[in-house]
Amino acid sequence: MITGIRGLAGASALRVGFTGAEQERETGSWAAATNRSRQAPGGHAVMANSGLPAGERWVRMGPGRFRPGRGLLILAMPGLPFDSSLVGSDVRRAALTAVLALTAGVLAACGGSGTPANQVSVSNGGCGVGWHLAGPGWHTFQVYNGAAEGGEVDLIDPADGAIYAEVTGLGPGTTSPMSLDVGSGSYAFRCLFDDYDPMTGPTVVVGGHVRGAPAILPVTSNDLLAPASQYHAYAAAGLSTLVGQTAALAADVRGGNLSVARGAWLTAHLTYERLGAAYDSFGNFDDEIDGRPDGLAGGVNSPKWTGFYRLEYGLWHGQSGPELARVADTLAADVRALRTSWPSTEINLLDIGLRTHEILENALEFQLTGHDDYGSGSTLATTQANVAGTLELLTILRPLLASRYAGLPAVYTWLDRLQALLNQNKRPNGQWLAVSDLSQSARQQIDATCSQALEELAPIAAITEPRIT
Amino acid sequence: MPTDPSPESPRPESPKPQAPLPAGSVPPPPTGAPRRRAFLRGALSAGVTGVVAGAAGGYAYRATRPAPAGQTALENAEAGVLPPVPFHGKYQAGILPAPQRQTAVISFNATADGRGELVDLFQTITARARFLTAGGTPPPVGIGGPPSDSGVLGPTVVPDGLTVTVGVGSTLFDERYGLASQLPAKLTPMRPFPNDNLDPAQCGGDLVIQLSAGNADTVMHALRDIARHTRGGMQASWRIDGFCSPPRPSGTVPRNMLGFMDGIANPDVSAPAQMDSLVWVQPNTAGEPAWTAGGSYFVVRLIRMLVEFWDRVDVTEQENMIGRRRATGCPLDANSIDATPDYALDPTGDVIPLTAHIRLANPRTPQSADSRILRRAYNYDRGLDQAGDLDIGLVFTCFQQDVKRQFEAVQTRLIDEPLVDYISPFGGGYFLALPGVVDRTDYLGRALLA
Repeated sequence: MITGIRGLAGASALRVGFTGAEQERETGSWAAATNRSRQAPGGHAVMANSGLPAGERWVRMGPGRFRPGRGLLILAMPGLPFDSSLVGSDVRRAALTAVLALTAGVLAACGGSGTPANQVSVSNGGCGVGWHLAGPGWHTFQVYNGAAEGGEVDLIDPADGAIYAEVTGLGPGTTSPMSLDVGSGSYAFRCLFDDYDPMTGPTVVVGGHVRGAPAILPVTSNDLLAPASQYHAYAAAGLSTLVGQTAALAADVRGGNLSVARGAWLTAHLTYERLGAAYDSFGNFDDEIDGRPDGLAGGVNSPKWTGFYRLEYGLWHGQSGPELARVADTLAADVRALRTSWPSTEINLLDIGLRTHEILENALEFQLTGHDDYGSGSTLATTQANVAGTLELLTILRPLLASRYAGLPAVYTWLDRLQALLNQNKRPNGQWLAVSDLSQSARQQIDATCSQALEELAPIAAITEPRIT
Repeated sequence: MPTDPSPESPRPESPKPQAPLPAGSVPPPPTGAPRRRAFLRGALSAGVTGVVAGAAGGYAYRATRPAPAGQTALENAEAGVLPPVPFHGKYQAGILPAPQRQTAVISFNATADGRGELVDLFQTITARARFLTAGGTPPPVGIGGPPSDSGVLGPTVVPDGLTVTVGVGSTLFDERYGLASQLPAKLTPMRPFPNDNLDPAQCGGDLVIQLSAGNADTVMHALRDIARHTRGGMQASWRIDGFCSPPRPSGTVPRNMLGFMDGIANPDVSAPAQMDSLVWVQPNTAGEPAWTAGGSYFVVRLIRMLVEFWDRVDVTEQENMIGRRRATGCPLDANSIDATPDYALDPTGDVIPLTAHIRLANPRTPQSADSRILRRAYNYDRGLDQAGDLDIGLVFTCFQQDVKRQFEAVQTRLIDEPLVDYISPFGGGYFLALPGVVDRTDYLGRALLA
């Protein structure tokens, strides 16, 4: 995904960096936000934003606009001496600039011809000058960028900066629709052009008592620093526990105490799954610690398959001896390496919101389908651990969400229901059932509840996406 | 006929469009003189249009008027912009219209927690169906979440003739929702017949939804929308997509995968008296809970056709099994597709064998008249079986007033017909299609749940 750009005066001035989710997920999850080159723990390079010389990877833009695609921004992490400079204006310019990357050609192709009646023109000389609202109800504006720069246009409540609607990545000379349900209140366009200070245009007041779509106060990267720090600490504590658990597990396997090892395996695996490592938040470590054989030649017989699932496969398929001991030792070593590197690992600020639904998206895809059952039949336990990890993120984000997301109580309702259902579906002796052993009705209840929880969780990523105000 | 693929079901008579047709819906008289039947089938081949829209409003086909000339409906169908089928009415709008080009049948089990949530579920399905069938622009969400619509139909949802037909199965009336006393008198789990090969995973369900429209993207869009808004309330158990072929080489009746025309005879959907005696559950029917009035028993049978085997059978044997000519659809004793077979003249089956499908399914006797059904068949294609043969066949659906008196009676007559060697029913279910939603304050199942 194209994310960085500057000097939009001409194509030759474009500086485009590629990062974005797709690229990022291929290369490891910590995109470097600054132009400092970073070394991932364990020696894995995490140069997510390749494609430019280091010095130009992140271009300077004035009070730039941070509108990353998924997976762009990064954050300085606690655990390290906190680098406050990373959250100041430098970062805004450097790390948070991202975006608006799109070549003029691409954007121009999306612009219509002619001047629609509901066009709102913005430029670095004026942000919606002369615009008006006929009254409440649904409106669709055609926002035209008459500037020579790319920018973002928000429709805000000028009293507090809360955003009703936004158009991002609006290239020079292009038009994009902006739709909203207008109610009684105050409305103004705010323009954020590259290399220019934010501008707020004239305010239009809609009188009366008509309820429209609510505006939402943007979440800034500063708002996300404390949550990121808490999440980092949560993971750090979990990793410390995990180091001990995987060491004990490895000892059990080496000693041939396989029935003990099976119990220890479950305990350790759930500890890992509670960390919310979905979508590679641990970078390549996640592949090593919790990878699947799916992409490997030879599948379950591939010597490259390591980690919890590999060990599960062995423990529940009659394997033992030195080969399995090596698997267990490798797992313990990889966990230790992850813990060692964790303090210097950055967390992408954007990820905190994304993970609130991504953890359970993975659970639905891989656990509740039984895909990730390599013998132990514990995917319901894994799902429960994933719910716990999701709840931890919600706890961390709650101060930001309480006033911004009316659906938050429903999120808890459905997650609580999911937890209860998972706990109900065990054997009388407390052992977990494999999903394939569930009755159809029990399985459908769990799947439906997880799916509804995901619908309720989905808006959080959009609401907590870091924005510049 | 029910369970089998071939035709002896009543061919739909044309519903005459009632007064003003929705804008843009110009039923096409396909070619030649607009006979009523040709007129309907023209609409069918176009994927259903204003004809159906007229039908949907509640089958008041009083005013017959000639269809406007032109190909607009056909063009609309091809462009994927068929006009809306009115959602509100005494009966659900998707029951009487001739089959549309694309359909999907999805069975769900309710996961709603208690009666209150079940009401929410039906209200939500109603609200989505009301929007989807009318079309419109999905609401913007600002920065508050992901887009409210999948975008599959573009920024503005087009109706494309969409109908949403909702039924309930007998399992909904178990102890979960306190509905046991409201169980429709004739609603049971689908019974197996001797030659069935039923897969429990593809049978039954608390609810069934049939989505039909001019195009597959419209059907899929509707399914995604409804599922998205009802995740916690119901969970899909099985699903099948179907399509309806254009009539070939001409005429009004589409062919099934056996190569025979399917649905030549059907009750006249434009005749309210016939619908009242054969399709709709009537008010004050003995034994039926009051809420069922205006509903219709909805049978779905998923029938694999063993077409490789069938294709190795000579055409005379094929025609004797069906009782009609493959090329023309004519009964073996007549030169017209519309002719009524005269079994009295052929008591020993010298012309139309006594075991022919059409003869067993509809013996054309006074005693069998009230077992007629409103047959709606679609073709399905699910790829291959494990031997590499085609997994294709029929999504047989039918509507009736009494599933025992009608579908089961017909199906019982068909037990061990010669055709059974070439077909394999593997799924489906019995449902009661709910009464219609009369206005914006009403919802599907209100009379049952309120």
